Amino acid sequence: MSDSEKSIDLATKEMLGLACNKNICTAFDRHETMEPECGFGQLGICCRNCVMGPCRIDPFGEGPQEGICGATADTIAARNLVRMIAAGAAAHSDHGRDVAHTLLTTSEGKTKGYGIKGKEKLLNLAKELKVKIENRKIEEVAHDVAEKCFAEFGQQHGELQFTRRAPKKRQEIWRKNRFTPRGIDREVVEIMHRTNIGVDNDYQNILQQGIRTSLGDGWGGSMIATDLQDVLFGQPEPVRSVSNLGVLKEDEVNIIVHGHEPTLSDVIVAASQDKELLELAKKYGAKGINLAGICCTANEILMRHGISVAGNFLQQELAVITGAVDLMLVDVQCIMPALGKLATCFHTKIISTSPKAKFPGVEHIEFSEEEALPIAKKIVRMAVENYKNRKKESLNIPKEKMELVAGFTSEYVFKMLGGKYRATYRPLNDAVISGRLRGAVGIVGCNNPKIKHDWAHIELTKELIKNDVLVVTTGCSALASAKAGLLVPEAAKKYAGKGLQEICEAVGIPPVLHMGACVDISRILTTLCNVLTEGGLGEDISDLPVAAAAPEWMSEKAVSIGFYAVASGIFTVLGLPLPVMGGKNLTEYLINSIENTVGGKFAFESDPLKAADLIVKHLDKKREALKLKPMMYGE
Amino acid sequence: MLNEGKKIYCDVSKCLGCRSCELACAVEHSKSKTLFNAIKEEPVPIHRRRVQAVDEIIISDACHHCEDAPCISACMSGAMYKAEDGSTQHIEEKCVGCWMCIMVCPFAAISRQTKLALKCDLCKDNEKGPQCIISCPTKALISKEV
Amino acid sequence: MNYLIIGASAAGISCVEAIRSIDMEGKITVVSDENYPVYSRCMLSYYLAGIIPEGKLKYREDDFYRKFNVNAIIGKKVDAVMSSDKKVKLSDGSVLTFDKLLIATGSRSKMEKIPGIEKEGVFGLRNIDDARKIEKRLQNSKAAVMLGGGLIGLRAAYALHKRGIKVTVVVKSKHVLSQMLDEEGAKFIQDKIEKEGIKVLTGLAAKEILGNKCSPRIHSGVSEANSVSGVVLENGEKIDCQIVIIGKGVQANMELVKNTEIKTEKGIVVNDYLRTTVSDIYAAGDVAQANDLITGESTINALWPNAVIQGKIAGFNMVEKNIKYDGSISMNSVEFFELPTISCGITKPKGEEYEILVRKNIASSIYRKIILKDNKIVGFVLVKDVDKSGIFGLLLKKKINVSSIKEVMMGNNFDFAKIIPLIKQYKSEFAEKEYSEILI
Repeated sequence: MSDSEKSIDLATKEMLGLACNKNICTAFDRHETMEPECGFGQLGICCRNCVMGPCRIDPFGEGPQEGICGATADTIAARNLVRMIAAGAAAHSDHGRDVAHTLLTTSEGKTKGYGIKGKEKLLNLAKELKVKIENRKIEEVAHDVAEKCFAEFGQQHGELQFTRRAPKKRQEIWRKNRFTPRGIDREVVEIMHRTNIGVDNDYQNILQQGIRTSLGDGWGGSMIATDLQDVLFGQPEPVRSVSNLGVLKEDEVNIIVHGHEPTLSDVIVAASQDKELLELAKKYGAKGINLAGICCTANEILMRHGISVAGNFLQQELAVITGAVDLMLVDVQCIMPALGKLATCFHTKIISTSPKAKFPGVEHIEFSEEEALPIAKKIVRMAVENYKNRKKESLNIPKEKMELVAGFTSEYVFKMLGGKYRATYRPLNDAVISGRLRGAVGIVGCNNPKIKHDWAHIELTKELIKNDVLVVTTGCSALASAKAGLLVPEAAKKYAGKGLQEICEAVGIPPVLHMGACVDISRILTTLCNVLTEGGLGEDISDLPVAAAAPEWMSEKAVSIGFYAVASGIFTVLGLPLPVMGGKNLTEYLINSIENTVGGKFAFESDPLKAADLIVKHLDKKREALKLKPMMYGE
Repeated sequence: MLNEGKKIYCDVSKCLGCRSCELACAVEHSKSKTLFNAIKEEPVPIHRRRVQAVDEIIISDACHHCEDAPCISACMSGAMYKAEDGSTQHIEEKCVGCWMCIMVCPFAAISRQTKLALKCDLCKDNEKGPQCIISCPTKALISKEV
Repeated sequence: MNYLIIGASAAGISCVEAIRSIDMEGKITVVSDENYPVYSRCMLSYYLAGIIPEGKLKYREDDFYRKFNVNAIIGKKVDAVMSSDKKVKLSDGSVLTFDKLLIATGSRSKMEKIPGIEKEGVFGLRNIDDARKIEKRLQNSKAAVMLGGGLIGLRAAYALHKRGIKVTVVVKSKHVLSQMLDEEGAKFIQDKIEKEGIKVLTGLAAKEILGNKCSPRIHSGVSEANSVSGVVLENGEKIDCQIVIIGKGVQANMELVKNTEIKTEKGIVVNDYLRTTVSDIYAAGDVAQANDLITGESTINALWPNAVIQGKIAGFNMVEKNIKYDGSISMNSVEFFELPTISCGITKPKGEEYEILVRKNIASSIYRKIILKDNKIVGFVLVKDVDKSGIFGLLLKKKINVSSIKEVMMGNNFDFAKIIPLIKQYKSEFAEKEYSEILI
């Protein structure tokens, strides 16, 4: 594959060319050496859950059709699938747990560098969680809210609090099918139990637990992460910034924060503005300290501080290859272990910080909330000190950078549609009802070297906004849209259909709305609930003309997200199939009959234009069912 | 042709029995040429290579393109023939499924589909060469001069 | 060198190919009494069943003779071989000379002396003319009777059944395919074809073939009572039919060597080099009586693969290569109604010296029977699960002691890998490079 076929992003192409000249291997190259990938794995029909095997089912029918225990392809694929859900839900939820911990310790005054910036959000949460507010200090309220959220993880019976945010009808569907999560951790554990040898072997029953666990992520762990982060670090508001590798600066200390949790990166922002450290930087000949993000950590500090974005998942190695990164600090999730070895070719220091995530050959400075600011300063100082080690001849910063607006939340943006003084979802609902907007689609998820980098995200996004579909985006998809120039209001005129254009122009928003990190997909769920409450668009999420897509997904987290989206009633299109195709009944269930139970279903479509077509047809079907007006500006 | 005068050998010291070669073979001989679609085809594509084992030995085996190929002598429809590159090839249009070739193949390397014998054709129609070799993660399958 | 080959089927054609692989110069003449391009006799039943068109009977290209630089004399019969003069006399009186001669005249259906056998509508199924005549008569026929339950009879029965004809097979023996299979193995096939609608009557023979006035629909112009209308069996039962096919075995076409020194028994007797008792004269295929690889007896194993290999080795030896023939193997492969069967060697052993391994599953029609003598395979019958038959054949041919793999041979997972330890153990028996290569 030539470099131009690997990505649509110019900075990425340039850096890949450079990597090639320098004989440096990246994920793009490693993907090629891995090909062809194991077919049994792709089809989900290899079982390693006990050591009688490993067992594989021959998808062409000649070889074994059952594992040693008698498990069929459907059973094996379902067990493997729900274990992915368990892992994905665990990742999101453990993130949420850490945020709850930070809030708790902060409320107890034990941390350095945190405060409660989202007071309004905290009070709303307290009301929702029935925490007493009256005559109490904000810290006391925060303490109880944190404890209540903590309890959700270990709860053994009952229902997760935030599932009650869902429409009544949806809650009933969940209860009826035993989908309502009882406790966040409990469901993950139960998946591990059920998929043990000789426990749950009925693929639909296995999926039932998979769905319950995923809902414990979307309406539990992820939602807690989002909401408590807003409490701690403040409610995001639309903010301008810049994206792509061109944000790295030749004459400043460049620090990249990479990973998923804002807990450390948020204090790094403060530390990088520390006067003493700025002075030190100047002493070494740097004009300042430049902070940039990669992956969801980027999204978190972008939407709260306007910190620029260096790139998305497949650009993490490329950032190092610019030779301009003095320090990259990483926390958890989506961090390639390849970084350690790669950094030895450059002056770049990689610093791991989470006790949960260490990397061979990478220096570890353990982070703790209690000593957050001192640790952050220590790390920034290391970066500054490392500036002098930069090699001029290894410096290759691509020019590409793009303006963006980020930080739309359920609380903010849709009210904005109604104008600052008439905060309401009404105009949004009316726009859909009147046929100015066809509907809304969440485009989310990762990068995957199996798909031309950013290409599927951008093609799908452009095609949908052309069809008057409002796109909301998070994670690496949001960063792709940022780099492609879709997150600016001017993009509406260039790419959006006439109806969407009118709305964007009237309110001054981009046609594609950045809603945050991957845990912030919970924001999309909350938004949909608000839209339903506003009225006129049905009674359940499955009534709405909405859909979700993960065109370049790769992570287990995406599997969990996909399932809570579908189980919330949302049609979800994945750019790569779930690894279940070897289980034909299971596959049929996921792309068809599951809709009878939850009102949502999966589609697997790697061609973004075909995916767009599927989505538009789906939105139109929902519009028809709601008897909405025909689209204002035709087809 | 890329594989002129070459045959496929299995280095048994490297074969881990992952069966990737079988899948690659079936996909190559499918209509769609993609795994996800091939598994849904009717009739199901049949792989002509089989991973087998005895004692400690694991071997991926298929047609050996025998010098004095018994399947050619046995073929009463003229479907089986020796190609100029030394490989034993099979014209599927001529085959009637009499199974004379199955009867005489010492390696049991010929598969049956309804009224049609199937065997390794060294992926002669694929310019990239034998897909089993490409698919082998341990490089146990190798192409060597006959 | 002047090569003369009589017969243009499996053995004759493979002899031409063998000669030409060495001798590009010598003159090759092929005489065939059939006026067609090279075609496959064994495919006739497929043609008759409507599975393949007539054009697909050809198993070599139309320009075969030209490409191999062969002087083909077709549509003429060799009446007599004049062995001492190194000449042959053709049916038109002309004479051909030779330096080396191959007699590959094949065999024909044995015609019994049943009253009425000469009637219109009674056929063998040996050549394309037979097939065409049957094909023509089919259009106005509803029922047919096969006399004989051997391969030819059953294949013809299967073909006519496929064409919508009501078929009755009349077998003298206790079961069908009595030459090829044991009673148990044959039962699978008999049950299958009966289930599919072919009637099988065993232990019976025909007493008379009846005829009537030519039916008005058959405009053949034959005289009264000369067209088949039915068959009367030994037990008096009468079966109405318009076609009778005789499948009571074959007899070698060896009349042309009468009055020569060439020794004949069941066929033309050849030695291990496919030479007849007269030097420079060879025989191959269904007419040749060679040593049986398993029994060591001199016999005819009339079968396509045997004919091809004999033709090939005879050809090599005609160009003085001196290659020894291992001996013929009695084996066969048939498939009726998607139930394949392959048998080889001794299938009905008699005597204490044989050990018999059997695996049988009536419900799924799987049958595997292996006959051993001194721990070596001397025969096998496989029904349905035939795919591994070549491995058994290899062990039989190489006369390998299989005592160490008896159990695994009868197991579900028997495959080529399972004999690798034997290949290692008996290296000298597996001298061909295809086997030594495995052990890299």
